[in-house]
Amino acid sequence: MEPLKRAELRVENRLRAATVLLIIVFLLFTLRLFQLQFLKGDALRERSQRNSVRSLQVEAPRGELLDREGRSFATVRAAYQLQVVPGDLRDPERTYIALAQLLGDDVETLRQRGGATLGGRRFQPVVLRDDLDFDALARLEAHSFAMPGATIAVLPRRFYPKGALGAHLLGTLGRIRADQIELEDYAGYRGSDVIGQTGIERRFESHLRGAVGGRNVVVDVAGRVVEVLGQVRPVPGGRVVLALDWDLQQAAEAAFRSTAPDQPAHMGAAVALDVRNGDVLVLASLPAYDPNDFVAGTDPERWQALVGDEWQPLRNRAIQNHYPPGSVHKAFVAAALLAEGVIDEHSSVFCPGYFRYGGRNYRCWQAGGHGQVNLRKALKRSCDVFFYTFGVQLGVDRLARHAASFGIGQRTGVALPDEAPGLLPTSDWKFQNKGEVWLPGETVSVSIGQSYNLYTPIQLAVAYAALANGGEVLKPRLALRLEDEHGETEHAFPREVVGRISISAEQSALVQEGLVAVVEESGGTGRRARVPGVRVAGKTGTVQVVNRTRTVGLEESEIPIRHRDHAWFVAFAPAEAPEIAVAVFVEHGLHGGSTAAPIAQKILSRYFEKRAAEQEVLAGRDGRALD
Amino acid sequence: MPWINRRVLQNFDGLLFGLVCVVLGIGFVNLFSATQPGAAGALPSEFQRQLLSLLVAAIGFSAALLIDYQRLERWAPLLYTLSVLLVLLTLVLAPVTRGSRSWFLYGGLSFQPAEIAKVGLVLMLAYWFARHPPDQDRRLRALLLPGLIVAAPVLAILLQRDMGIAVLTLLIGATFLLFVRISLRSWLMMAGIATLAVTGLFQFAFREHQRERILDFLDPARAPLASGYQAIQSLIAVGSGGLFGQGYLSGPQTQLQFLPTQHTDFAFSVLAEEWGFVGCVVLLACYFALLIWGLIIASNSKDSFGALLAFGVVGMLFWPAAINVAMVLGLTPVVGVPFPLVSYGGSQLLANLIALGLLMNVSMRRYMF
Repeated sequence: MEPLKRAELRVENRLRAATVLLIIVFLLFTLRLFQLQFLKGDALRERSQRNSVRSLQVEAPRGELLDREGRSFATVRAAYQLQVVPGDLRDPERTYIALAQLLGDDVETLRQRGGATLGGRRFQPVVLRDDLDFDALARLEAHSFAMPGATIAVLPRRFYPKGALGAHLLGTLGRIRADQIELEDYAGYRGSDVIGQTGIERRFESHLRGAVGGRNVVVDVAGRVVEVLGQVRPVPGGRVVLALDWDLQQAAEAAFRSTAPDQPAHMGAAVALDVRNGDVLVLASLPAYDPNDFVAGTDPERWQALVGDEWQPLRNRAIQNHYPPGSVHKAFVAAALLAEGVIDEHSSVFCPGYFRYGGRNYRCWQAGGHGQVNLRKALKRSCDVFFYTFGVQLGVDRLARHAASFGIGQRTGVALPDEAPGLLPTSDWKFQNKGEVWLPGETVSVSIGQSYNLYTPIQLAVAYAALANGGEVLKPRLALRLEDEHGETEHAFPREVVGRISISAEQSALVQEGLVAVVEESGGTGRRARVPGVRVAGKTGTVQVVNRTRTVGLEESEIPIRHRDHAWFVAFAPAEAPEIAVAVFVEHGLHGGSTAAPIAQKILSRYFEKRAAEQEVLAGRDGRALD
Repeated sequence: MPWINRRVLQNFDGLLFGLVCVVLGIGFVNLFSATQPGAAGALPSEFQRQLLSLLVAAIGFSAALLIDYQRLERWAPLLYTLSVLLVLLTLVLAPVTRGSRSWFLYGGLSFQPAEIAKVGLVLMLAYWFARHPPDQDRRLRALLLPGLIVAAPVLAILLQRDMGIAVLTLLIGATFLLFVRISLRSWLMMAGIATLAVTGLFQFAFREHQRERILDFLDPARAPLASGYQAIQSLIAVGSGGLFGQGYLSGPQTQLQFLPTQHTDFAFSVLAEEWGFVGCVVLLACYFALLIWGLIIASNSKDSFGALLAFGVVGMLFWPAAINVAMVLGLTPVVGVPFPLVSYGGSQLLANLIALGLLMNVSMRRYMF
């Protein structure tokens, strides 16, 4: 068929209609452009700004923790964090799948983390994976352009170079809790902040934290920073110089761990104080944990394992747990007896191995008895009958009054959170708390520390230090000073005296003499705490945990750990001019003399080794000066 | 050369050529900015590729205007058939890229036959209606064969799962309805069939993300992060352009890549952000002037094939531009339809310049018998 001639196709009016249609469409578009660019222009331009200009917080590196000799216990390292900005994810599903492949993670987990955005803050970064190892980091960097909205942030992160050493003293970091962020102390903190939750980290949080900085940046659609518009530099946190001596701390913890190969490491606590100023030279608690595990908020599994552990490694046994004191309490009983004039240095009793009172026999730990016993021998051999006999005459309330003057049964005020108060029973206390009157038989038990008494290891260190230093009850000084990030001192903590013991210097000397005999004389219970060249004064303690009938006839190694006695040893040295007091508690350690005393001995001998070395250096310098 | 002579050259349509050059010029200037982010070197690689495509497309343009369109008319059925076969060939030979099987890839080059099929369809429909004056038979039956002519490439393109171009091809075919004079009852029937087809497409042929796009359009607050994201980012870009724009190469939405597929589907957003209202109106004015000039060429054409061919070319250039701008301005859902001559894309550029070559062809030979 031939095509039609042009004239046969009457299309002019149709083409005109099409022209009109085109003009209408053109006008429609122009109108819409006018609406968007004029009428809504400002609002949309602002949204364009918001799209690309973002305020970022820049974390301040946390301040260092140093020991008394300037050795770093806690410093800062770089951590790499994978973040996503949910509002920037153009294809969240694909991004999560890609990230899961790169990280070897579960897609669902990542999706959940990414979805856990607070409120409507879609443009706040959410952490998908923290502390990337170098392999993961390299893989992510290589693919970062394929994943708009995912970024890798470099953050300063707390690092404890000595691992678990001194863990309880240093404390832990942890994400701020919902109830904490409400508090005034934490004004200005964000929900994702990691703060000091225990120990020194918590106590000096405000000093260690520094001030966060901020940056206004222009980011592209992938959240990559293209331009920095302005910034406020973060101020690094200040340093805390602790009174701690890392050598002694290490010696203490090593001593707890050096048990027979078939036996688990000892549990318990050790505190060493400088009796002259209260400096906390050692504060150890075992079992411990690695505080590095907490620096970025805790992995729930690990946290559960620590919380669920039957031996409670998170507890700071030196200050948060209190225990019956057993025979280490006898020093305070002796002090009270002397102060009240119940005995003098010549008073003595005959110990047949038991004490009959109220129609009942109270046994001495030495079944055969100690024979004739005076104060010195009573302390040296830890004779129960001596303290039973005179304790009954003294009474619980007079005993408590004098014991309290040593600072026991109350918080020492050490700069650590959650200190336990301990308990020093009186007849009033029993009436108020148990609703019963104090029974005379209970006075017998309280005289050897096997009653309601509960002391923390640090309380005993403070109390023995007071006995050693002429009677001053000192507040344990944990931190010597706060410094700024350049090492300039901002605040020095003074020596603080919180009380005086209630006995005279002569009476104190009598007790000290007995304590020296414990270690230095043959037949003393604390012989294993001897340090060559130094006279050590100390007292052993053994605390019965379960009724004797449950352990009778069993070899020590056969007794279940939970049923074994607790062991104490508290000491100070040198006896003639005391410098250091040590309290060692070994949980289920069986005997004060055989388990706790050797640990105290290791701390003391390390202390005196160092002192001897220092004096040698000083002597050498003087010698040269003389030449 | 047998098909060209002095008279033809004397009738060279300077206005048409000028308008094409202006639109192309704006397109390339804009594309340079749109391809800047993340580019290394002085010329972004995509910009370079588009320059290369322009070279090829210019050859296509010249070829299309040199061969007398009356000769082309005789070849129309053959060209049409070849173009449809080429599309079908992709189903067998082309790899799947981005969910569609519509690209021939060879080395670094890629080619999308569906674009060429549009030219083939325009030629064929012009051929058909030139022989079957659409205003003589008022029955719907008269539309059966032209309907099949349209359906063949549309179905072939649908098989490639390339919804955007399939819809465009359908619209180009439907443009010719403007010439059809049929009864009201027939119009209603067609409307009914179209409604059924659209709902059917929505339910069965559309894939999840395409359904999502339409739902997002109907309710943009529904999912600001999914496909609504693109629409919102585009509106922000356009709106923040204001009267004179944020300045060339300095639109934050563009340069920070907040705009999705900014060198292809959202090239017009880039222009709007950086050149503002003025830039947009200049481009649209030139483009619509080009289209109206095309209609004038149609009405001045010496024969009905030429008129219909010119008209078809206008339809072919109108629909994608209208859909693209409407999408960028948030008037329709987000569909992957590029702006002819302005957006990045070699096949599109080649097909459109061939079409414009045909328009020039008709224009230059309007006085020859």
